[in-house]
Amino acid sequence: MDMKKLIDDAKTFGADYFPMFLRKPAPKFVTESGNPVFGIVAEFDETPKVFKAAKKVRDAGYSKWDVHTPFPIHDMEEAMGIKTTKLPLMAGGAAVTGLCIAILLQWGTTDWLYPTVVQGKPFEAWQPFVPVMFELAVLFTAFMCIFGMLALNGLPRFHHPLFSHERFYRVGNDRFFIAIEATDPNFDPEKTKKLLEDIGGTDITLIEDVN
Amino acid sequence: MTQIATKHPNHPAPDSTGLSEDQWQARLDRIAKDPRMSEDNTTLSRDDAKKFAIPLLGIGVLGLLVTAISAFSVDLRHALGAFEVGVFTALAISIGSLFWVMVFHSLNASWAITLRRQFENIASLVWVPVAMMMVVVGIELSQGGVLLQWIGYTGEEYNHLLKVKSPYLNANFFVIRVLVYAIIWVGIARVLLSWSCKNDETGDRMLGRKARFLSGAGIPLFALSTAFASFDFLMSLDYRFFSTMWGVYYFASCALASASAVAIVATILRRAGKLDGLVTQEHFHDLGKLVFAFVVFWAYVAFSQYFLIWYANIPEETAWYTNRQQHGWQWLFVVMTMGHFGIPFLLLIWRKTKRRTMLLCGMSVYMMIMVILDMVWIIRPMVYMNTPKADPGLAMIWLDIAGIVGVLGIFAGLVALRISKSPLLPLKDPMLHESLKHKNYV
Repeated sequence: MDMKKLIDDAKTFGADYFPMFLRKPAPKFVTESGNPVFGIVAEFDETPKVFKAAKKVRDAGYSKWDVHTPFPIHDMEEAMGIKTTKLPLMAGGAAVTGLCIAILLQWGTTDWLYPTVVQGKPFEAWQPFVPVMFELAVLFTAFMCIFGMLALNGLPRFHHPLFSHERFYRVGNDRFFIAIEATDPNFDPEKTKKLLEDIGGTDITLIEDVN
Repeated sequence: MTQIATKHPNHPAPDSTGLSEDQWQARLDRIAKDPRMSEDNTTLSRDDAKKFAIPLLGIGVLGLLVTAISAFSVDLRHALGAFEVGVFTALAISIGSLFWVMVFHSLNASWAITLRRQFENIASLVWVPVAMMMVVVGIELSQGGVLLQWIGYTGEEYNHLLKVKSPYLNANFFVIRVLVYAIIWVGIARVLLSWSCKNDETGDRMLGRKARFLSGAGIPLFALSTAFASFDFLMSLDYRFFSTMWGVYYFASCALASASAVAIVATILRRAGKLDGLVTQEHFHDLGKLVFAFVVFWAYVAFSQYFLIWYANIPEETAWYTNRQQHGWQWLFVVMTMGHFGIPFLLLIWRKTKRRTMLLCGMSVYMMIMVILDMVWIIRPMVYMNTPKADPGLAMIWLDIAGIVGVLGIFAGLVALRISKSPLLPLKDPMLHESLKHKNYV
């Protein structure tokens, strides 16, 4: 694990939400006007074209990039080489946490700290604890699913640099876009532009990250 | 001038595909040309089926012979109890399959079409456990109540509960009810299978539409008949006991056992080199989801029933559990909580368990054993209850095993023979092309 990279990632993530406290790490690439480079975007006009292009970008070894389409395209995650999400494991951890909290809260209070007789049932009865154990496990899992999902995909966000690109608005209608970000370790202004040209992209544009 | 409305030759047919006759014929031709639909891949020969069927039938007949002989020479109650455990497991498998067929038809489920014929095959054999149920009814009636003690109640000796319940729990009404269940299950299962097989030959799309209509009517009938059959045979083993959750409890076993059974059948067919490319990892994944769902559903229902009875603490209800937590059957309580829910929950929740065919098959065999043990948990402790004899517990386990293996061996052997009688999937189902490219995106 690279701690420095993790901290940098956290700063980049947090800077979107708390620009008054956190500054993004110094950008690797800047434009002539001094603004940091967000990345390079290329436009496609047909689904099969963008699908084949995505496979080529994946094979070129890029990791920080995205495909924007007007509708979901089946098998796109495979074509982009996106790995299975870690969310199920996180949700499982949350379920175990909820279960333990429920056991501690109920057993700890009614049997250990302050033994209480309820309806003449024995102290060591486990049956009444089960519904609360189930509910708390489900509650924690549901919270982890929602907030873990938001943390992993970086939503909600108020602005995205691609919105400064006028043509990008056609992504809601009839155009497909591939955007490769400048934070990608393989990013190189010339080579990346060349790659996007080779795979059939048109209107290749450099996008500035202006806040 | 009057205009006469005539049907355009290309008018789409009112079935789920919405295709005209020409388009439908083109789709049928395209599917028929698919190399996966070759005759070798979609049919099981009679000889191959016999390789499985003859040993299974042999074991089954042997088990039933041992049970029948010990019914006369050892103990009628014990032999009948062992036989009933097998019968109600086989019944759960077959009417559960009937339930899934009707659900697939009524929801127009396209993913399950390549698996649907196996569900139909197992469901159409519902006559086997139903015939055995008739044997149980015959024995109970001729002996004046063996396990079902309320059959022998004549009203001479005052028993308040039996007197109050006698409008429902009496021999005549019992026989009528059993006949109604038999007609519902056997009738619907045979009709759905025959329509599906007829569709293989004619390619008539309207048969699917008819099956959907029948399934819509059949699901409420199935729900009521399953619930009341489980009341009649299983809940009334102790005439004092009552639980409104009982029908759902037995239904959970039905759905679980049948999904597991089809997972096993499909794995055997895939290992025999059949259905290559037709039943894929994706179909097994979805079947695994059904097994997992009903493991959880069973636990939810079983605990709801136990929890309310435990809390309310009413004598005639708690007796059902206290009877089972002594007399040497305490260990089954642990098996039910951990073995039927805890362990399979933790194993089946992993995606890999459901997607690897052999792992899922192993889990399905395990779940079948758990369903059998669930029936043992329901029936077996009642065998020596209220009798002068002491419960021998596991000392007489050979008789229990003989009864269970006898029934299930015959049932499994007949399933193997039935599978070879028709193609292994509905060849001309309107939505077959969707099942062929089925994929799980989650």
